[in-house]
Amino acid sequence: MSALIAAQLRERRRSLLSWGLPIGAWSAFVVAIYPSVEAALTKAVRSYPSALKQAFGIGELSTVEQYLHAEMLSLIVPLAVGYLAVRSTASGLSGAAESGRLDVLLSAPVSRRRIVTACFCACAIELAAILAVSLILALLGSLLSGADLSFSAALAGFANVWPLGLLAGGLGIVVTGISLRTSIVTGSVAGVLVGMYVLDLVGRLDPSLDGLRYASVFRYYGRAVENGIDPLAFLGVTVAAVALAAAGATLFQRRDLLS
Amino acid sequence: MPVIETELLTKFYGGNRGIEGITIAVEEGEIFGFLGPNGAGKTTTIRTLLDLLHPTSGSARIFGLDSHRDSVAIRSRLGNLPGDFGFGKLVRGREAVSLLARLRGISGLGRALALAERFQADLERPMGELSRGNRQKIGLILAVFHEPEVLVLDEPTSGLDPLMQEEFLALVHEERERGCAVFLSSHELDEVQRVCDRVGIIREGRLVAVERVSDLLEKTPRRVSVEFGEPADLERLRGLSGVSGLEAGDGRVSFKVAGDIDPVIKAIARHRVVDVEIARPTLEEVFLTYYRRGAG
Repeated sequence: MSALIAAQLRERRRSLLSWGLPIGAWSAFVVAIYPSVEAALTKAVRSYPSALKQAFGIGELSTVEQYLHAEMLSLIVPLAVGYLAVRSTASGLSGAAESGRLDVLLSAPVSRRRIVTACFCACAIELAAILAVSLILALLGSLLSGADLSFSAALAGFANVWPLGLLAGGLGIVVTGISLRTSIVTGSVAGVLVGMYVLDLVGRLDPSLDGLRYASVFRYYGRAVENGIDPLAFLGVTVAAVALAAAGATLFQRRDLLS
Repeated sequence: MPVIETELLTKFYGGNRGIEGITIAVEEGEIFGFLGPNGAGKTTTIRTLLDLLHPTSGSARIFGLDSHRDSVAIRSRLGNLPGDFGFGKLVRGREAVSLLARLRGISGLGRALALAERFQADLERPMGELSRGNRQKIGLILAVFHEPEVLVLDEPTSGLDPLMQEEFLALVHEERERGCAVFLSSHELDEVQRVCDRVGIIREGRLVAVERVSDLLEKTPRRVSVEFGEPADLERLRGLSGVSGLEAGDGRVSFKVAGDIDPVIKAIARHRVVDVEIARPTLEEVFLTYYRRGAG
């Protein structure tokens, strides 16, 4: 298993640069400029209509943590990390089928379920590494600008994205059990993620539709950078991600692997 | 007991025919050639054997084990070169070999490195930078480095230069000497004729012949061309058992002979003979005969 995980991570090593650095650099920039825009922001936010603030989860921006959440952790980072996660699992399964690697791996005494498990584990490690790089760069931005970003708050904020990304990875495995075309896998899961975000948004805007939010992972995502991680939500989403991956593994086990 | 055995193996893709009723048995130490043009069902048969496709009906067994239920146990004793070998553009040959060795529980890469040297395979460059032939060499190494008991090779020499093709055929012979059974799909009939003990011919998803290569060639009529030094009794020749397609022109008589050639030689010898050519058919001609029969 460890050999498969290591091989998958080696294949995906460039993502640390291509995803971790931009997300981290952007987060660092957001944190770094906060001291210089703090006063203007507070004033601007107070003038926003309350419906707009409610819809986009814009609260007070009187701390750097609140600003980091509003600018990065409320939408951009979860969607980017979710997309990265589905790219990771798709690359390990449908991408491997397209490149011929899957045929070679399945020449060895390895079950399909083991390949799927390794792929999911590699995705989890990749996401953790990218979020860690982002966290480090954001803290570096704070250090250089004197923004006073709390380590524990930032850690909670970035760590809270991990189960959400993992859920997208699990969804990717489910779709791979149905289609082995990478574009279909990534496109459909990205669509589901955006759909979930819209569902959550609609539910927040119209209280009569609040029930819809239960079908969205963003309902359970919260504002960990400000309020800390909700352990139940964190665990629940992680378990859901693992369950999706397990269901996807069963579908993958049963499907034909066409050349 | 055969090491590879299929019984009425059938695979449909929805309503489309893949293969139908394929029954084959390959013995230990045998090199079995699987012939057919593109789309005939060679790769579908192989992928079903390897549990990459699930059969619609029928069964496939390797080492007496069910190819689906026991696929992991089977693959620990089997080597496979897929038809269109690839492993990802960024991966180096050495990384691929190391990974497969770890998955197979092999600690040393000695045989893989020796094979790389023999086939002049570059294990240090990313596969995306290698030509098709050079990638194919790495595929061959991955298929054989662990000394499998059964080798499944789908179009193994495609992309290899003639020297490497020769080296590959020598390797296949060595594997057979070791006791390994080889299931080789190809449309390179010359190589099949040189290396295989038996062949199966597949047409439109159905197996139309399974024969020893020598028997197949023996059964197919020889082509005889004779230049007589005097008028010959062509009616006598035409009337001989097994003679067909007799044509005469420009002082030469040509015809086909199936079965015993002795009466033909004796009939020819009654006249003065200037020149005689007797040609055995190539496997390609045999193969085309089967296909024309089907088309007719």
